[in-house]
Amino acid sequence: MGESITFWVLAVVSVIAALGLVFSRRAVYSALMLGVVMFSLAVLYAVQDAPFLAAVQIIVYTGAVMMLFLFVLMLVGVDSSDSLVETIRGQRFWAVLAGLAFAALLGLGIGNAVLSPPKGLAAANRAGNVPSLAELIFTRHVFAFEVTSALLITAALGAMVLAHRERAEPKQTQKDLSRARFVRFGQLGRNPGPLPGPGTYARHNAIDMPALLPDGSVSPLSVNRVVARYEAAEGTLPPEVERILQEEALSERANGHVARPLGEEDGK
Amino acid sequence: MNGTIQAPTLEYAQLAPMLVVFGAAIVGVLVEAFAPRYLRSAIHVPITLLSLAGAFALTIWQVVKGVPTKPAAMGAVAVDGPSLFIWGTILVLAFVSVLLINDEDHFVAAAAAVPGSAEEEQALHEGAGHTEVYPLALFAVGGMLLFPASNDLLVMFVALEVMSLPLYLLCGLARRRRLLSQEAAVKYFLLGAFSSAFFLYGTALLYGYAGSIDLAKISAALGVVGGQETLLYIGVAMLGVGLLFKIGAAPFQAWKPDVYQGAPTPITALMASGTLVAAFGALLRVFWVALGGLDWNWSPVLWAVAILTMVVGAILAITQTDIKRMLAYSSIAHGGFLLVGVVATGAAAGQNSKALSAILFYLVAYGFTTVGAFAVVTMVRDAGGEAWHLSRWAGLGKRSPLLAGIFAFFLLAFAGIPLTSGFFGKYAVFQAAVAGGATPLVIVGVVASAVAAFFYVRVIVLMFFSDPAADGPSVVLPSRGTAAVVGVAVLATVFLGVFPQPVLHLAQNAAQSLFIR
Amino acid sequence: MHIVYPVVVSALLFSIGVYGVLARRNAILVLMSVELMLNAVNLNLVAFDVWLRDRLHGGQVLTLFVIVIAAAEIGLGLAIVLAVYRNRQSIDVDRLRDLSETGASEEAGPPEEPVGVGEDADREARP
Repeated sequence: MGESITFWVLAVVSVIAALGLVFSRRAVYSALMLGVVMFSLAVLYAVQDAPFLAAVQIIVYTGAVMMLFLFVLMLVGVDSSDSLVETIRGQRFWAVLAGLAFAALLGLGIGNAVLSPPKGLAAANRAGNVPSLAELIFTRHVFAFEVTSALLITAALGAMVLAHRERAEPKQTQKDLSRARFVRFGQLGRNPGPLPGPGTYARHNAIDMPALLPDGSVSPLSVNRVVARYEAAEGTLPPEVERILQEEALSERANGHVARPLGEEDGK
Repeated sequence: MNGTIQAPTLEYAQLAPMLVVFGAAIVGVLVEAFAPRYLRSAIHVPITLLSLAGAFALTIWQVVKGVPTKPAAMGAVAVDGPSLFIWGTILVLAFVSVLLINDEDHFVAAAAAVPGSAEEEQALHEGAGHTEVYPLALFAVGGMLLFPASNDLLVMFVALEVMSLPLYLLCGLARRRRLLSQEAAVKYFLLGAFSSAFFLYGTALLYGYAGSIDLAKISAALGVVGGQETLLYIGVAMLGVGLLFKIGAAPFQAWKPDVYQGAPTPITALMASGTLVAAFGALLRVFWVALGGLDWNWSPVLWAVAILTMVVGAILAITQTDIKRMLAYSSIAHGGFLLVGVVATGAAAGQNSKALSAILFYLVAYGFTTVGAFAVVTMVRDAGGEAWHLSRWAGLGKRSPLLAGIFAFFLLAFAGIPLTSGFFGKYAVFQAAVAGGATPLVIVGVVASAVAAFFYVRVIVLMFFSDPAADGPSVVLPSRGTAAVVGVAVLATVFLGVFPQPVLHLAQNAAQSLFIR
Repeated sequence: MHIVYPVVVSALLFSIGVYGVLARRNAILVLMSVELMLNAVNLNLVAFDVWLRDRLHGGQVLTLFVIVIAAAEIGLGLAIVLAVYRNRQSIDVDRLRDLSETGASEEAGPPEEPVGVGEDADREARP
């Protein structure tokens, strides 16, 4: 009885979460929904007499694969939302149709099959779940097990090839960077010190507020360009910052070079 | 069992060709980790080529010693006549493709750098390159060897992934037109993962039906287990989707032109030859060993798929303006011709072996010709890389008669003109199909061949009878490897077209023993 | 518990995954939908394993392999998606159209690689 209740609760949860995965607008929600599906399946495995699989499911899927998904979503931009506007006309309709037809086919087909209640010997798990899994993996499926290692090596190698770049020149140390900063100070007169923090001397202690100089004017050095761009798009750019940016753009056009505060390019 | 597990026995002698390839791939990874960069290429090439040659020698030795009659590795791998023939074919084709891969500047210098960035310039300047392509190609070849030889659905799935994963990656590593190349990789990957999910779902349903994933046990359960035919049919259909996708049969062919066009040409050559051969081997094994008793159910479906594939391949090839896409559609059409042979296997045992040997011969013939054709494509270059657009090939016959002549010869072989290998391949397959009672299919096949031939001839006419463009592409002097590839392909195409007997005989011998059940 | 219920749940999950692959355009979401399909397969396998009372748990072993292989596949897949994102600043599958049928036939010449995407070259060139 307990098994049935668990099953029905988790079945409903996992199907709803799966629907959430497919229909939610934000990628992060989808990832979390996927996590819910995986987790409820893990519990289902546990009640269905497969404790080892439940553990593996949680460790590999909920632990590793989910983290990988979230990590990549963070890299790509966590607010990357998927506009649900269809680009191919009727695409969504056909996709719904395909999904429904498929579900109907599978549901009816499998439901129609005369699936008898549990059959076979009641000798399951005689030697315990993990030993019997091990027995099969290390005897009958030992070759598949070994070849899987080739797959894992391929995946690791592939990720390395696509993401890792061999450093051609020695890494710049802090000493080199600092020396370069002072050389630039000597040649161009650029401030070698750290930038003033945002919000210094200001009434607001927020990152989008530029620092004020002792005379009360805004320090152009402290304007965070990324935040400013965002705010300009949102239309909430403070007027004094906007003025500074405009002046900067004008001088850029006049001088033909980009005058940027120090910190930004060193961060690159 | 009381806690003790009997140690498994692995027939190392039978598995040796695969083990050599995988071992060399792992050594390649170690080389990548420990050898200095300037030495890597010099170490990789001999390791890769020697391991493929060694695996080929071991395969031959296996044949000489006598084809095994029992599955190896605890019943996971079936090293039988057809497997050994397919192994030999794949290994030779892979050897030839590696010679192409070895050719300079097909692959990106630094895959992690943005195209056109300073980092990439620097990497190019230093002559850096991803020598990882060698071990990756070897892993793919190992998967191709295992795929048609797998004796249960689990090993088949693992082999499918081992074969595909490196190819997904290699597709995205072209040096020029990188955006196209990466797009090809994404498309191939997403569709490949999608189709392998279907394969797996089919496997799960068949497991539910038969209680086992052994091909032989599924076959044994066919007549015995009653009342659950729906599971079986849906399972077979989904398994079929996964396999037909790898072949690029008609409803699932969409990836092929995109991937063949975007991938670096040597990798396209490897995919067009090796993957096709391996996938057909696996398809035959599943439909014979596991589902042989069910052929009344699957052969009408395969009829439809074969007709659709031939028609789609031949007709869409006509509209193409890109040489690689054209070859991709040609490969789809050839997949359709091969499916005609698969349909023809559904009869008595004598007929079985005849159709099987025809398919094996066709695979060898097509594999060599296609590698040769892609090798020629690598040699016709513009400023921006290979000249893919057909208009750029106009008048090539006047600029470089030899190369254009060779390419025309390959195209004629694709079309199935007598005195080329393609003729005997098609002849054998169609003959087997007629004997197997699939005459309407053969008629469609002949018509499709005629349509395709029209297009091949159009390319030949374009090359020889139109004026070359003023700023037309140049034909680069082939490296020794590329020249060898083209030479081997031409020789194989001529030889199989004039003296098909030895290889036909070999194929018949291989097919005689049929698949181990 | 009857075998039909888990199998139907698994079929539902698989179908939802199929819909996701077909309808979503964000490549990462497509990958997640593929994961969902594989999870449905796993549920199916475990259910059949219990139903068949497989003494050696063939279904569970298969599930174990599927989990491992799916993890490897997703690792590589995300690496490919990231590589594309670095070059295009977009992971919209629908915008990957350079290779599509219409794109190839409409263009007069072979598609050119956009050499040195302006701002990237600019950014990297700064000292």
